Amino acid sequence: SFSSPEEAAAERRRRKRQLRMEPPLSALNRTQTAPKPLQSPYYLNPNNPKLPEHVSALTGNRLNLHNRILTLIRENDLDEAALYTRHSIYSNCRPTIFTINAVLAALLRQSRYSDLLSLHRFITQAGVVPNIITHNLVFQTYLDCRKPDTALEHYKQFLNDAPMNPSPTTYRVLIKGLIDNSKLERAMDIKTEMDSKGFAPDPLVYHYLMLGHARVSDGDAILRLYEELRERLGGVVQDGIVFGCLMKGYFVKGMEKEAMECYEEALGKKKMSAVGYNSVLDALSKNGRFDEALRLFDRMMKEHEPLKRLSVNLGSFNVIVDGYCDEGRFEEAMEVFRKMGEYRCSPDTLSFNNLIDRLCDNGRIVEAEEVYGEMEGKGVSPDEFTYGLLMDACFRENRADDAAAYFRKMVDSGLRPNLAVYNRLVGGLVKVGKIDEAKGFFELMVKKLKMDVTSYQFIMKVLSDEGRLDEMLKIVDTLLDDNGVDFDEEFQEFVKGELRKEGREEELTKLMEEKERLKAEAKAKEIEAAEAAKRSARAAVASLLPSKLFGNKETDLESKREGEIQALNEENT
Amino acid sequence: SPAPPPQPPSITDLTRLCREGKVKEAIELMDKGVKADAGCFALLFDSCGQSKSLEDAKKAHDHFLQSTFRSDLTLNNKVIEMYGNCKSMTDARRVFDHMPNRDMDSWHLMMRGYANNTNGDEALQLFEQMNELGLEITSETLLAVLSACASAEDVEDAFLHFESMKSKYGIEPVVGHYMGLLDVLGQSAYLKEAEEFIDQLPFEPTVAVWEKLKHYARAHGDFDLEDYTEELIVSLDPSKAVANKIPMPPPKKYTAINMLDGRNRIIEYKNPTLYKDDEKLKALSGMKEAGYVPDTRYVLHDIDQEAKEQALLYHSERLAIAYGLISTPPRTPLRIIKNLRVCGDCHNAIKIMSRIVGRELIVRDNKRFHHFKDGKCSCGDYW
Amino acid sequence: AASKFVQMREAAIEPNHITFITLLSACAHYPSRSSISFGTAIHAHVRKLGLDINDVMVGTALIDMYAKCGRVESARLAFDQMGVRNLVSWNTMIDGYMRNGKFEDALQVFDGLPVKNAISWTALIGGFVKKDYHEEALECFREMQLSGVAPDYVTVIAVIAACANLGTLGLGLWVHRLVMTQDFRNNVKVSNSLIDMYSRCGCIDLARQVFDRMPQRTLVSWNSIIVGFAVNGLADEALSYFNSMQEEGFKPDGVSYTGALMACSHAGLIGEGLRIFEHMKRVRRILPRIEHYGCLVDLYSRAGRLEEALNVLKNMPMKPNEVILGSLLAACRTQGNIGLAENVMNYLIELDSGGDSNYVLLSNIYAAVGKWDGANKVRRRMKERGIQKKPGFSSIEIDSSIHKFVSGDKSHEEKDHIYAALEFLSFELQLCGYIPDFSGKESYEDG
Repeated sequence: SFSSPEEAAAERRRRKRQLRMEPPLSALNRTQTAPKPLQSPYYLNPNNPKLPEHVSALTGNRLNLHNRILTLIRENDLDEAALYTRHSIYSNCRPTIFTINAVLAALLRQSRYSDLLSLHRFITQAGVVPNIITHNLVFQTYLDCRKPDTALEHYKQFLNDAPMNPSPTTYRVLIKGLIDNSKLERAMDIKTEMDSKGFAPDPLVYHYLMLGHARVSDGDAILRLYEELRERLGGVVQDGIVFGCLMKGYFVKGMEKEAMECYEEALGKKKMSAVGYNSVLDALSKNGRFDEALRLFDRMMKEHEPLKRLSVNLGSFNVIVDGYCDEGRFEEAMEVFRKMGEYRCSPDTLSFNNLIDRLCDNGRIVEAEEVYGEMEGKGVSPDEFTYGLLMDACFRENRADDAAAYFRKMVDSGLRPNLAVYNRLVGGLVKVGKIDEAKGFFELMVKKLKMDVTSYQFIMKVLSDEGRLDEMLKIVDTLLDDNGVDFDEEFQEFVKGELRKEGREEELTKLMEEKERLKAEAKAKEIEAAEAAKRSARAAVASLLPSKLFGNKETDLESKREGEIQALNEENT
Repeated sequence: SPAPPPQPPSITDLTRLCREGKVKEAIELMDKGVKADAGCFALLFDSCGQSKSLEDAKKAHDHFLQSTFRSDLTLNNKVIEMYGNCKSMTDARRVFDHMPNRDMDSWHLMMRGYANNTNGDEALQLFEQMNELGLEITSETLLAVLSACASAEDVEDAFLHFESMKSKYGIEPVVGHYMGLLDVLGQSAYLKEAEEFIDQLPFEPTVAVWEKLKHYARAHGDFDLEDYTEELIVSLDPSKAVANKIPMPPPKKYTAINMLDGRNRIIEYKNPTLYKDDEKLKALSGMKEAGYVPDTRYVLHDIDQEAKEQALLYHSERLAIAYGLISTPPRTPLRIIKNLRVCGDCHNAIKIMSRIVGRELIVRDNKRFHHFKDGKCSCGDYW
Repeated sequence: AASKFVQMREAAIEPNHITFITLLSACAHYPSRSSISFGTAIHAHVRKLGLDINDVMVGTALIDMYAKCGRVESARLAFDQMGVRNLVSWNTMIDGYMRNGKFEDALQVFDGLPVKNAISWTALIGGFVKKDYHEEALECFREMQLSGVAPDYVTVIAVIAACANLGTLGLGLWVHRLVMTQDFRNNVKVSNSLIDMYSRCGCIDLARQVFDRMPQRTLVSWNSIIVGFAVNGLADEALSYFNSMQEEGFKPDGVSYTGALMACSHAGLIGEGLRIFEHMKRVRRILPRIEHYGCLVDLYSRAGRLEEALNVLKNMPMKPNEVILGSLLAACRTQGNIGLAENVMNYLIELDSGGDSNYVLLSNIYAAVGKWDGANKVRRRMKERGIQKKPGFSSIEIDSSIHKFVSGDKSHEEKDHIYAALEFLSFELQLCGYIPDFSGKESYEDG
């Protein structure tokens, strides 16, 4: 019962709707449906000019994807972030360049250069247009992995083709990278180019350039750069960042007084970043003014107010730690190093390595190991450099077993020491008569490393000297399977020489012949197997040919056809 | 009780519908001859703009053109705004060009429309036209100009216009203009520059300023800047703290600040290439991506046409897969049906494809199913 | 029944309309030359009595008889002459046209029908499905939905079958949801067709779910799920369900065995496969049909035991069909065995099937080993015998609509994007070590 006809009608309509459950409207063949007004996304149309997407493209599903990838990166699942990005290229929700940049930046942060370049190659090929951030990341990557020429090549291509200008950041990245790669002249060229394009003088860029000149002790060039900057800024340099390098310039020229005046001026600057301070700190510390450096460091720590004003950072600590080490004050060095956390600074592998190196160099291996032991707790993972340092130090202290243990730990944790480190390990072990251990490491590493002739000969010689010629021959066996090393006559002569000691030199020939024979046999077996299969199949078919399947009535037509096939067979054999 | 006889629809009904935002029904009534008044049109235009339905917008506009209000300035401005919201600047422009008289709002709405539809360049041209016509440039105009620059990612012009504010037009910049510039930098992916710009603001940066920077940091994938700005925001307004925030894992190294340039001797210890037995090497076998070697074969388009055609066998199953890929979300399976047997080459290709695209590709041919996944097929390569 | 009628006539008992209807449906049920002449005779008889015009049921039975015996024109005549027609008559007429593939006529009658019920619609939909016009069937179903007529379970089964054939999972899922709201949601036949549909869409998990949730099952349910597992490559599941079915007291029939054998061939379980085959013959006393032999050939070929595969061919009691020879040929290709392939081809020529794919396969085998003469000869022979290559197409369902592609298709509205995506994908493929196999130049679908 309904209170009104309207309600009744409404109820009827509702029921009808329920009954109907309309099938999806787009059902069936696309040719039968009206073409949907499909507005294809800009990026999919190959005819559009290659402009990077605007940040407003980051909406809807593509924004969801972006957020999802950001979360993956924070969860430190970079592999999945990169893979998901790749997979999304093959979907109706292509990642924006912004998402891709986030992944690239995260990869760069973890120094995963090859993965970064691979992803960059992939998205470029997929037609995703890079924006300025992408370009800057790629420049930085090549510069970080010491490929300045490639970086410049890309930069040139970028200037020619990209529909955008370099940003001030581009120049900072390039100039710093070139300085770090000792390409001082190219860095200066880039600065000239930057000026010619009308960019405002950037004190940070000047700082990098002055630093480059400080490294080659070109005091005049430093002063020239400073003067140029001052002039272009209208006579006053407000930014304190350049003063550390300026001091270095004066120090280089022996102008101590001017250097210290410059120091006074720097202290009065309104704008003084941690980088600027560190540069001053470094100038003092490296020029016999460590006490002054310590005083400045004190002041920096007092001024330090996280968020508001960051006046110390990892670099400041590194400079002071280094300074203490220079002075032979290792306890204090370690003390300062450990204080870092209080200032929201965290050491990276390189700072650990540096301290370990300094300690080892001064025979303080126990302390070095102590510092090494602190790495894990700080979430910093040791690298090949760390383990190599410790291994070498242990050998120097006649702790061959510990040295071997460090090497093993390095390999076990997936790191990849090179042949030189391996050679030092084996050499060290042999020196203290640990032949079996050395041989064990040979066997472990021969599967991983591309051994050279020297490495092979070294272990062979060791075994031969011990009279373990059989084992030596075993290695020859391994060697013959290794495609990387050429077992030439000279090498053979070496082996024969060793064998000659026991008059067994013909055994090499025998071994080689045996090897040849085995190889030939294996090959023959393969061919034989293939032949056999062919033959058996033929036989089977032959037996079948006159069977019922071919029919009882053999007409002319059929015999002709059979002849044709026969001819075919002959032709083909 | 018998239902009352239906009343013919009236302006009252129409007004009610417009107020309720029922655009379709309102247009239906108008189609039946109910005449809308200015209030109705204003409401309708707003609703259409909100729903972003161009179709409705055009219908509403048609009725407007037939009405006596068709030369009403305010309503015409509303039409421009509506078309801008519906992302049809061509329509907006047509209205603008045919307006008998325009006020400043007309210009500003046009510029805003262009800016919001990533066509900042058009907006900047309008600004030039304004200058040529000698119109009086206001503070509002410059806000629109900055938003146009942001849309066009035109950092240089933005700063030029900003400079000219005081020097040429004698307008004192307010917070809004600084925010506008921040948008220009942020949308142009100039993050570092934006950070430094905030540093030089003539006023103490507010939460809104940092939130803007944080938004752009997040969009452009600068995690450290995002976290830094977030911390600042929380320190200014603790209520903005983000629950369950995942901290960013520390970077591998702090090259930029560690002052240990040249101390890294890793090269002396690390193997320059991958190890022989490295799993990854196997996975990438054939890929020229191992190590730091740059891949310069960027562009497939360079390959000569014939080689390309050969490389790409456009078999129907591949076309179906390609269409499936671009039409569905990542990692969802695709089902393809083929009336003949899958050829060996395609079978091989689809196997590898399944790994590349990270999806299950299910192909039903005339004999059986092939479930391709992670580079393998359920048929075990026999079919 | 016919002789009884004669007796009845002889006994001078006047047959009434019930008699005629029974007789006519008997004729309709067993269409043959004799039944049609008998049916015509009865028609003459009822004509005299005027029953065909005045009695709805007799008239309808006549239509049915003629239609089922393939005399659709006569059926139409009977239909037109009927004085009174009811819905059943109309539906029977529609069904008659559909049955005989006269879709236009059927639709014409259908359109003339003033009030349509579920059976009228089902006659159309089911008719389309039976004749393999699945897309038309679905289109028809859509119209039925829009017209507000509720489908019955027969309709739904036909629709699900169409979905299964087209592989439209999206629509299939939608129909499943529809089924869930209906009274017949637990109908065994409906569930069976759902199992079949899901497994033929490659969605075997859903098929299993439907199966597991069935309150009761029939032999067909078991067969559907076993075959479903087998074709989808889940051999273990197929065999384990094959066992469970017997534990639950179902006697496997030929189809069940086909499923089990397919599973074995898929997993390479030769011993198990042979054991099952023997069991079928000896214990169940089921006469192996050609598809069972086909599975055996597959079983051997897959293991590379081509000789034994040939032996199966030699010893089986029937002539091999194109399918069996095709799989042997495919095995030859995998094994690179040209000699055997050529001979298998000879059988195919014997069979004289118009099948093109095997020619293509042989041509490819030649090409694969660089024997272009051989490949050319095969191609020439194909031409001589007037064998046209069947156009290959692939389809994919996106948002419930089917998109069909042929090789090098440029007709799709999004072709630019498709080709761009494919081009990029091919580039990545090559980076991953994929080398296009140009030996198969003569592809199944390339011209």
